[in-house]
Amino acid sequence: MGRGLSRALAVAANTFRETVRERVLYNLVFFAILMTLAGLLLGQLSIRQDEKILKDIGLAAMDLFGVLIAVFIGTGLVSKEIERRSLYPLLAKPLSRAEFFLGKFAGLAFTLFVNLSVMLLGLLFTLGATGRRPDAGLLTAVYPLFLGLLLVVAFAMLFSTLTSSTLAVVLTVGVVVVGRFADVIRGMREVLPGVPQQLTRVLFAVVPNFANFDFKSQVAYGEAVSAGILAWVTLYAAAWTLIVLGLGLASFRSRDFQ
Amino acid sequence: MSRALALVLLLVAPLVPLSQAGIDRLAGAQREQEEVLYLWSGEHVKRLVPGFESLAADIYWLRTVQYFGGRRRFVGDKRFELLRPLIDITTALDPRLEIAYRYGAIFLSEPPPAGAGRPREGVLVLEKGTRALPNAWRLRQDLGFFHYLFLGDAPTAARILLEAAQIPGAAFWLRTLSADLVARGGDRAASRRMWSQMLEQAEEGMIRDNARVRLQILDSLDLRDALVRGVLEFERLYGRRPGRLEELVAAGLWRGPLVDVGGFPFGYDAGTGRVFIQEASPMWRPE
Repeated sequence: MGRGLSRALAVAANTFRETVRERVLYNLVFFAILMTLAGLLLGQLSIRQDEKILKDIGLAAMDLFGVLIAVFIGTGLVSKEIERRSLYPLLAKPLSRAEFFLGKFAGLAFTLFVNLSVMLLGLLFTLGATGRRPDAGLLTAVYPLFLGLLLVVAFAMLFSTLTSSTLAVVLTVGVVVVGRFADVIRGMREVLPGVPQQLTRVLFAVVPNFANFDFKSQVAYGEAVSAGILAWVTLYAAAWTLIVLGLGLASFRSRDFQ
Repeated sequence: MSRALALVLLLVAPLVPLSQAGIDRLAGAQREQEEVLYLWSGEHVKRLVPGFESLAADIYWLRTVQYFGGRRRFVGDKRFELLRPLIDITTALDPRLEIAYRYGAIFLSEPPPAGAGRPREGVLVLEKGTRALPNAWRLRQDLGFFHYLFLGDAPTAARILLEAAQIPGAAFWLRTLSADLVARGGDRAASRRMWSQMLEQAEEGMIRDNARVRLQILDSLDLRDALVRGVLEFERLYGRRPGRLEELVAAGLWRGPLVDVGGFPFGYDAGTGRVFIQEASPMWRPE
């Protein structure tokens, strides 16, 4: 168990190094420029809404960049190793498929964590530099955002074990988009009364509700997000991520690499 | 990068802003208008950006301020028909953006050229705001103010101000203002109190500027009324109306310049004795 964990961590560390080498964190430069420009311009443009808009821009950028990294890097984590045939010597070593798969997930999760942390610090700095109070409450928006990104990575990895990386990107983006419209599925009977209630319930249950991870607007208005709801969101994310990772691992294990 | 390639890039780069300026010159106005018209419904825009509604609202809000901000590029060509859809889209995307309701209501209600001259729509925007933010007493206060200031409906204004007074944290004077409106049916003093409150509550910017101008208009109306009294006094003393307002000064019935707060000379009709603010003056509003 201990050795398995250390091997998975070695894969994770390697994955993190790889993503950094792929210049994934270059998005931080763009974020820094965005924040600087926003901080300079908004005070004049927005009629005293600059703090709210700065937070909106910062949090939306974290969300957007995070999803892009999760989708595009996540789908390549396994499939690239297969395409480059670098997976075969790895699996010939005393490294189980589970350790490889979960290590890859953990590595990208850490990259996303670093990315979000740096962006959060950048946002706090911009708020401070423009004479606004750095708001610790932003953490209550960033934390669920991170949980949502972990779920996106899990989906990306699941699809990449099932199909080509291009199709995996399309499918993952599809899940994210549908997941953000989950409330439409829930309220489907309001516009289509003929749809059986059971069907909407089942559909709503099998689609991950990405709106659950979105507290950006509340936090931008300085409203508190309760610990209770964060705990439920954590549980929701953990359940979904474990299920999807489990499916991905099962699919990865069942693949024949001969 | 080779020197030749760098040279080519340097030569081509200025073509980008140059061609953009050409496009703007020929198609700019239409394109800006169409951009908004394509996305007429806030609910449709909302469905296009799941998870980013707040940011989209900010973008629409910034567009609104740019269009109607008065200090920027659109100043000479304000198309007020776009204001209501912009406000509707912004508030559909972010129903808690209180400033958008207040801002939209003012510039929909103000008569041209300062606004669209559609006070009923301004009131509708504020009503939408009070439904979205039932605990925002300032929004409900504005709704009361607008019923009085733009629709001249003192009883409704008084009722709404009383409702605003009952919201936790509301200003204490809302009750007395409401009572005054009920008792006197409203007068210039009530208007002055309302605009003074708006001036005091608004941050620096268009809403504050507008309240300041409105107070200056009330001052100008006070000056005009004083001049009318001067004309009547002149008539009582000399048995005729003055031919020109300057005669009031010569008769010692008026001290100081015969101009409104905006610095424009008052108009005078010697036939009827009517003193008025001239249409060219920034203090002029349709009565």
